[in-house]
Amino acid sequence: MHRVILSILLTLLSALCLAGVVNANPATISGSVTGADGAAIADAVVFVQTPTSAQSATPPPEKSRTMEVVDQVNKAFVPGLRVVVVGTSVRFPNHDQIHHHVYSFSPAKTFELPLYKGEDAAPVVFDKVGVVKLGCNIHDWMSGIILVLPTPHFAVTDGSGRFVLENLPKGTYTLVAWHALSKLKPEETAQPVELDADVPNVNFKLALLPARARPAVHGVRAEP
Amino acid sequence: MRGWHGRSLRTKIFVAFSALILTVLVATLGLTQLVVGRDATRTLSRELRTTGQVFESLLKERATRLQTNSTLLASDFALKRVFATHFDPASYDPETLASAGLSYRQRIGVQLVWMTDETGKLIAASPANQRVGQSLGGLSPLKEALANQSAAGDVVEVDGKLFQMAAVPVLGPDVIGFLMLGQAIDDPVAAQLKVDTHSDVTFLTPRQVFASSWPVAQRNLWHDFGLQNPALLQIGTERFLSLVVPVRAHLDQPLYALIQGSYDKALTPLHALQWRIAIIGTLAMLGAVLIGVFLAGGITGPVRALVAAMQEVLRGNLRYRTHVDRDDEIGFMARTFNEMVDGLEEREQIKDTFGRFVSRDVAEAVLSGRVPLAGERLEVTILFQDIRGFTALSEKLDPVALLRLLNQFFTEVVAAVETEGGVVKQFTGDGVMALFGVPQARTDHPQRAVRAALGIVSRLEGLNGRLRQDGLEPLQIGVGIHTGEVVAGLIGPDARVEYGVVGEPVNLASRIEALTKDFTATILISKEAAARLGAEFVVGRAALLPVKGKLLPVEVVEILGLAGGHLDARPQLP
Repeated sequence: MHRVILSILLTLLSALCLAGVVNANPATISGSVTGADGAAIADAVVFVQTPTSAQSATPPPEKSRTMEVVDQVNKAFVPGLRVVVVGTSVRFPNHDQIHHHVYSFSPAKTFELPLYKGEDAAPVVFDKVGVVKLGCNIHDWMSGIILVLPTPHFAVTDGSGRFVLENLPKGTYTLVAWHALSKLKPEETAQPVELDADVPNVNFKLALLPARARPAVHGVRAEP
Repeated sequence: MRGWHGRSLRTKIFVAFSALILTVLVATLGLTQLVVGRDATRTLSRELRTTGQVFESLLKERATRLQTNSTLLASDFALKRVFATHFDPASYDPETLASAGLSYRQRIGVQLVWMTDETGKLIAASPANQRVGQSLGGLSPLKEALANQSAAGDVVEVDGKLFQMAAVPVLGPDVIGFLMLGQAIDDPVAAQLKVDTHSDVTFLTPRQVFASSWPVAQRNLWHDFGLQNPALLQIGTERFLSLVVPVRAHLDQPLYALIQGSYDKALTPLHALQWRIAIIGTLAMLGAVLIGVFLAGGITGPVRALVAAMQEVLRGNLRYRTHVDRDDEIGFMARTFNEMVDGLEEREQIKDTFGRFVSRDVAEAVLSGRVPLAGERLEVTILFQDIRGFTALSEKLDPVALLRLLNQFFTEVVAAVETEGGVVKQFTGDGVMALFGVPQARTDHPQRAVRAALGIVSRLEGLNGRLRQDGLEPLQIGVGIHTGEVVAGLIGPDARVEYGVVGEPVNLASRIEALTKDFTATILISKEAAARLGAEFVVGRAALLPVKGKLLPVEVVEILGLAGGHLDARPQLP
């Protein structure tokens, strides 16, 4: 338990250092992500943009790394979107009764977990910032994303498009928003935020590509 | 037409029958040609259209198969892995991609394998292509595949050749690139389509022929077609019906499939049918000829027999009867003919019998109804003849011998009178009374009477010769002739009517005959008769003689003979 608390404290400390401002009284930034038409966008990720140099900073020491999980349940990745801080290990347990063959060709992390069942697969360390798209070689429709961020300060919007970034030390930040279907690159959404007290309404507007149906063969949609 | 009318009935019936059959035959053939020919064209057009549809389905099916194959290939994990290398220049491996393309070409029998990245840039091609490194994003069907991030297919032209092309995304699991497979539409494909559809197929644009089942020399070019669709074209010695079907494609010019079926082969059943009709028609014709001959013979045979009978009757054989044993019109005609000849024969018998008692001419005139019942006024010449010294002769001869002599004499007299068209009206025991100009009117009746008198004299000489040989006295006669108006008609009660003339001239003629004895002349004629004669006769003495019953004497002229003739009617002095 102590180890956990320690690791959290360490993470927070490092995050405060990255923000460039150290403040003993953390504050909260909240807001929403909407489409051009004002509709709420769920599963968007709002995070604190870090200086470019920070991305190439050496990952936190082995001990500081956390372990995340992307499960495979009912022939789908659960959750479909997992946001991790660079250097995080991710396990891919298979809770189906069949084999899966998890892979990614993404430049941020190319890997392959050949056919396996249960907890057999070794964890994968995501040591590069970027979008890692997951697939299953056997089940074409299975698709998931692991978003590898250089910062622990991120929040994922809920069904109403709301996000809450908590425990941020006071200071000046640049916030960006990402979405799997966003037409804008994250840096194009950058918003500076002066954080003295809680900032309640930071709003991002994103234009999304049309949600693409999963690839179909001969018009017959593969059902999970 | 005179020639036609002149033909025999048999020929006419036969020609009419043949013409009828021939007309029916020609009409049948013509109608068959028209109906079946039009039907064949329609059927062939329909077949071609069906072929066109089959053919579109085949192309679509091919496209679908191609797309399926492409999708299966694009799902190959090894391919995906090699494809993904293009994300990292360090590991990018185009040679492996190209070799994989070659392997795929061999695996599923396509002619073209292209691989692009997710933006449409060509990263590998088999066979090698100079477009590698260029974006094909504007090229169908990749354009559509890019836009929809899904599989697409089209017919396109690549380096002058026609291809059915499929573009399918390579998923990892998002689109990491596109796999494009091209299947050539070339001559072997056209040949296979011909095997499948039994029609010749050519793929062409208005500018170029891409593929065809025809040999190169016989390929149709665009300018061979008019506006008609389908059109009839002569290729070599055969006619082909050609249908142009548009093919969905992305070329700079519209692409068409030209589907051609042999028109002549389609007409083969028609020709077979026409042959059969012609054979049946010819047999029918022969049958008709036989029937015509038989039927015509049946009709014309009895008709000819009838005609022969008529000719026989015309020649005077009234005993001839025709034998046609039929119940139809011809039988009726034959029976009627026989009845008619019966009537004719009966009438002839009556006339014959009648003629023996009266003159033939009179009999004919009476029988034909030419004699008016009320009588008629006519100018006639009356001849009286008498045998001189008959009383003395009758005393010398046996009555039977006398009668035979008289009959011989009268036979000659009658012959002489009838030769001149005269009528012996009555026998007066030793003489005759004859009329000229009745019942058949003749204007030269005086001449005829005189010629008849000379004829009697002449014939008498022959008879007298025979009498002298028998040791008998020759006969001497006197003839008196007068011309005048009498009333001619039927005289007597109904039961015993006879043809005769009444009037003063009859008495005068008899008186003149009586004058011959005293005047010693053989032939004496009245002035009235003499006035009507020409220079034909030799005239003797003329005299004014008193006549019994007449106040004034009568002027008579002696006739001696024919001018230039050897006849001499001078009385022979004892």
